[in-house]
Formats: sequence, C-alpha cells, structure tokens
Amino acid sequence: MKAILPQARLKARSPELGLRATSFAFILVMVVIPMAVILQDGFKEGAAEFWRQVTLPVAAHAIILTLWTSALMTVINAVMGLLTAFVLVRYAFPGKAILNAIVDLPLAIPTLVTGVMLVILYGPQQALGLFLNQELGFQVIFAPPGIVLALLFITFPFVVRTIQPVLLELDRTQERAAASLGAGAWTTFRRVVFPALALPTLSGSLLSFARAVGEFGSVVIVAGNIPLRSQTAAVYVMGAVESENRLGASAISILLVAIALSVLLLSNALRKRWEAR
Amino acid sequence: MNKRFAALALIALSLALAACGQSQPDDSDSTGGTSADEVNLVLAAYTTPREAFAEIIPLFQASWLAETGQTVTFEESYQGSGAQSRAVVEGFEADIVALSLEADVIRIQEAGLLTHDWKAVGADGIMSTSIVAFAVRAGNPLGIADWDDLAAEGVEVLTPNPATSGGAMWNVLALYGAALRGHVDGVPEGDPQAAFEFLKAVLGNVLVMDDSARDSITNYEQGIGAVAITYENEVLVGQQAGTDYELVIPTSTILIQNPVAVVDAYVDEHGTREAAEAFVEFLFTPAAQEVFSRFGLRSIDPQVAAATADQYPPVADLFTIDFFGGWPQARENIFGESGVFNRAIQEVQGQ
Repeated sequence: MKAILPQARLKARSPELGLRATSFAFILVMVVIPMAVILQDGFKEGAAEFWRQVTLPVAAHAIILTLWTSALMTVINAVMGLLTAFVLVRYAFPGKAILNAIVDLPLAIPTLVTGVMLVILYGPQQALGLFLNQELGFQVIFAPPGIVLALLFITFPFVVRTIQPVLLELDRTQERAAASLGAGAWTTFRRVVFPALALPTLSGSLLSFARAVGEFGSVVIVAGNIPLRSQTAAVYVMGAVESENRLGASAISILLVAIALSVLLLSNALRKRWEAR
Repeated sequence: MNKRFAALALIALSLALAACGQSQPDDSDSTGGTSADEVNLVLAAYTTPREAFAEIIPLFQASWLAETGQTVTFEESYQGSGAQSRAVVEGFEADIVALSLEADVIRIQEAGLLTHDWKAVGADGIMSTSIVAFAVRAGNPLGIADWDDLAAEGVEVLTPNPATSGGAMWNVLALYGAALRGHVDGVPEGDPQAAFEFLKAVLGNVLVMDDSARDSITNYEQGIGAVAITYENEVLVGQQAGTDYELVIPTSTILIQNPVAVVDAYVDEHGTREAAEAFVEFLFTPAAQEVFSRFGLRSIDPQVAAATADQYPPVADLFTIDFFGGWPQARENIFGESGVFNRAIQEVQGQ
C-alpha cells in the first residue's frame, strides 16, 4: 500500500482520472444502462418464465439456427480471412490499395442493402440462383445458405483486420532462418507463421461470430423467415416485439447478448495472450 | 492516432448532445402549434394510404381555410401499423391515427390516450376498406382461381409473417375463415379440424414470410413465388404502376377495415381537437372517399362505391372480423402463443 501511495498522488495530477471517469460514464450511459433495462425486462417474471420463453419451440429453433449458421460462417471466415490478410501483407500486386480498401466496404454498406444484393444475385428468379437450384438442387436464398452468405459478407473485415497488424509486425528473421535450413514455403508457413497468427485468427473469428449472432437487416431479407424453418433469433425478436411479447423479445435478446459477451470476453483474453508474447 | 480519435469522439459527442438539446424547443413548436389563424396537426398513419393522403390533405386544407379562415399544416408520419400504434402509446404525440386494423387502435385506447367512442364517427370509424385477394403471374399460368389452389403441391406462396405484420393477420384470417365457412373445396362448413388441416397445407407452401405486406409484394414483383396472398389495393396500385401481375378474388374472403381516430389526450394537450375532428370527418366525405377509391381502396361511401362498382367486383361470401368475435378474440385464439396459427406452423415444420 505504502509503495503505491506516491504513485497514486502523481496519477491524480495527470489527466488519467478525468479521462477514465468520462469513458466509464459514457460506457455506463450508452451500453450498460440500456443492457440493464433489457436484463430487468427479461427477468421481470422470474427465471422460470425466462427459460420458458427461450425454450418455446419457435424461439429455440430460431436461436439454434442463428448459432449454427454463425458458427459455419465463422469457420469459413477464419480460413478466408487469414488467406486474405496474408496476401494483402506479403505480396505486392497492382490494385492492392483498392483491394485493401474493399475489405472494409461491408462495414459501410447498410446491411439491408447486403440482403437485397444477395437476393438479386442468388434469388430463385436469377440466372445463378436458378442454375444452383435446378442443376444442383441447392437453394441459397430463403434457406440457411443465404443466411451464411449474408453473415460472411457483413463480418468479413473482422478477421482480416485483426490479423493484418500482427502479420505486419511479425519478425521475419525466423522465416528466413527456416528457409535457410531448407524448409519449403508451406512448411515455413505452417511451422513458423501460422503459430503466430493462430490466436489473432481465433480472436477475429470470435469477433465476427459475436457480430453475426445479432444480425438483422440482411438476414431478414434473405432468410425466408418461416418459423421453425428459416427464422433467425433476431427476426424472431422483431416478431415478438411486434406482437406484444416484450418478455419473449427481452429474454431472447438477453441470451444473444450473453452469448456475444462470453465470446467477446474469450476473444479479448486471447488477444491479451498474444500481446503478452 | 488515439488522441485524434479521442478528439473526434469528443466532437461527435458534443454535437450529439447539442442536437438533443435543440430538439426540445423544436418539438414544442411543431407539435402543439395552434393559434387563431394557424393550426398544426400531427398525423400518424400506416403506409398504404400515404399517396391518398397526399391528395386528400390539400382538399381538406382548402375547405378548412374557406370555412374558418384558419390555415392547417400537417406533419405526417408513415410506418407499419403496429409500430405506429406503439409509438403513439410510447409518447409520439399524434393528433390523428389512421391504422390498418382495429387492434392497433384498441392498444391506444387501452393506454388511456383515446377515450371517445371512435366508432361513432363516420362509417363506424372505418375510413377505407379492402379485401384479401391473390396476386398471380401474368396470364395466370397455374390457373389459380380460389383458396384450394394455394394448397396444391408445389405452388409457391408468399404471405407476410403475422407476428411482424399486423396486416398479415388479415391474410391468415381470410384463409382460415373461408375454410371454416365452407368455401374451400374439401373442407366442410364449420369443421375447425378440416380448416386447420387446410391452413397447414397452405402454410406448407409458403416460401417466404416477409416482415411486412409491402416487402412481401416487393419480393413478388421481383419474380419470387407463384402467388402472393395480399390486399386488393396492393394489386390494383401495382397494376397502376405498370406491373403485369393479375388480381384473383376468391369466393370467400375477409373485409379489411382500416380505422381512423382522433387521439383525445394529444389533441387536448395541443388544443387541436376542433381541426383534428374536422379532418377525420372530412375523410368520410365523398370527395375524400373518391380519392381512396382511386388508390385501390373500396369506398365506405355508398354513392362512391356504386360509382366504382365495376372496378371493385362484389365478393360472393364477404365476412368481417366479427366472424372471429372481434380483434381481441382473434388475436388470442388465432395468433396467441397456442393459437391456431402457431400450432399449424409447428405441425407443418415438424413433419
């Protein structure tokens, strides 16, 4: 205690305290209080009623659909995001700056537009959609593949942007050493580069998963929204709000938030681990 | 980088706060406005009558100015009926509400904001009507003529989700009601079990349940689905806009009734009751009704209805929400947690 005292006094004069208070207050007002309201709303009739709401067949199906489509998207995103980040950092090619800027584009496009775009591209009346449907028997739009596509699009930047800075700062002497010892490009990547990128990849993937779980705008357009078939949790929540079921809406929201929060905490913990290296 | 970001965040925050601070006086200026020569009315409506109101409002403004020397200005808000109704309950101070179904007016009544007998105004408080009908592709390639055709194997049907779209409830009620009333082939009159099976058969053919009636018809216009269960007015307006789908009116269907009412609590607060009531009454005049009928809605005025009869053919068996005992009962029995619709969709998807 005694040892800390002088330091604390020093800190009091620095702007830290003020900045910290401002940021805490902001987070409190903008994030914590609204979340608390939902929490209170969802549990106002007790834990049993909360549980009943989230296990109603339609609600439970919507939650499970959301989780598995998000998980599938996350796996694809992890692989493709890693690949994209690697290409963007390690190779020089014409148009690289443009490609780099395109990566962030999904963040700027209203997700509703994303949905409309996918329907135009893969819808049952479009050439591509028709081909997939009739030749391969594969329905994209108004089915889970459409949901996965929409989620892939909107969360694509997360993995790439988490890996890029790590890759940029990666010390390349180890790679050169590996190469000089006769390791091929693939072995070098697998044994030297990938271990350094595994945690950022996982962290970015979890971030994209958390973002995907709550997605509404694009999914409502492409999913089909049929209860027990193609309705996701966020769309179910909207239905619950619209049909006076505030309790159900809050309960499912709480579950989504809890999932997102634990995933984000995990993602942050992983980030700390690689930063500590 | 971080400092710059913090500075930006601070600027954004202060701008946001400044905007919040300013909106207060603005609000009181615009919503409560009434004086000897000027009055401002806030109209909260569902989306369908937007174009009709664009023509009716100038008519009313001219007539009110001639009658009282007072200029009426309007602030109009259009969104889904349920969302609009909830907004009014949560404090959106609308003087007048025009909604797609009575249940949304009842919500405002239950909140204590609407206290007069709104059904005593005009034609039972219903400003316009329509019917549930089908949109089919040009030339009706599948030969869809009545409800039973929607249950045929492989017919892709569009109808919005009754949970998100108040208007979509009309569709389910029309379908289920027609079956209960014995107007669907193979379903005997007054047989709830057979009607339930028929509902399941049609729901099994539904390809997409959009979150609003408008989104559903938009999807249909993009070429999705073979039949859209929708409202007659949506099809007529779509045809006016140059689309090539066709209208099919089933033998038996429900009369869609769109209510309008003055919100007592807010008109009294704003001192706008007189003008607001006059506007609602104006909606029932032949002049206003004629406008509605041009935008695909069936007029409640007998003379206007007679004049437009060839555009709006009669329905062999037309029933109203009263067949289900009124909206509160229909909501509970058909759309409640263990209502007919939920049970049907669970059984369909469980197969």
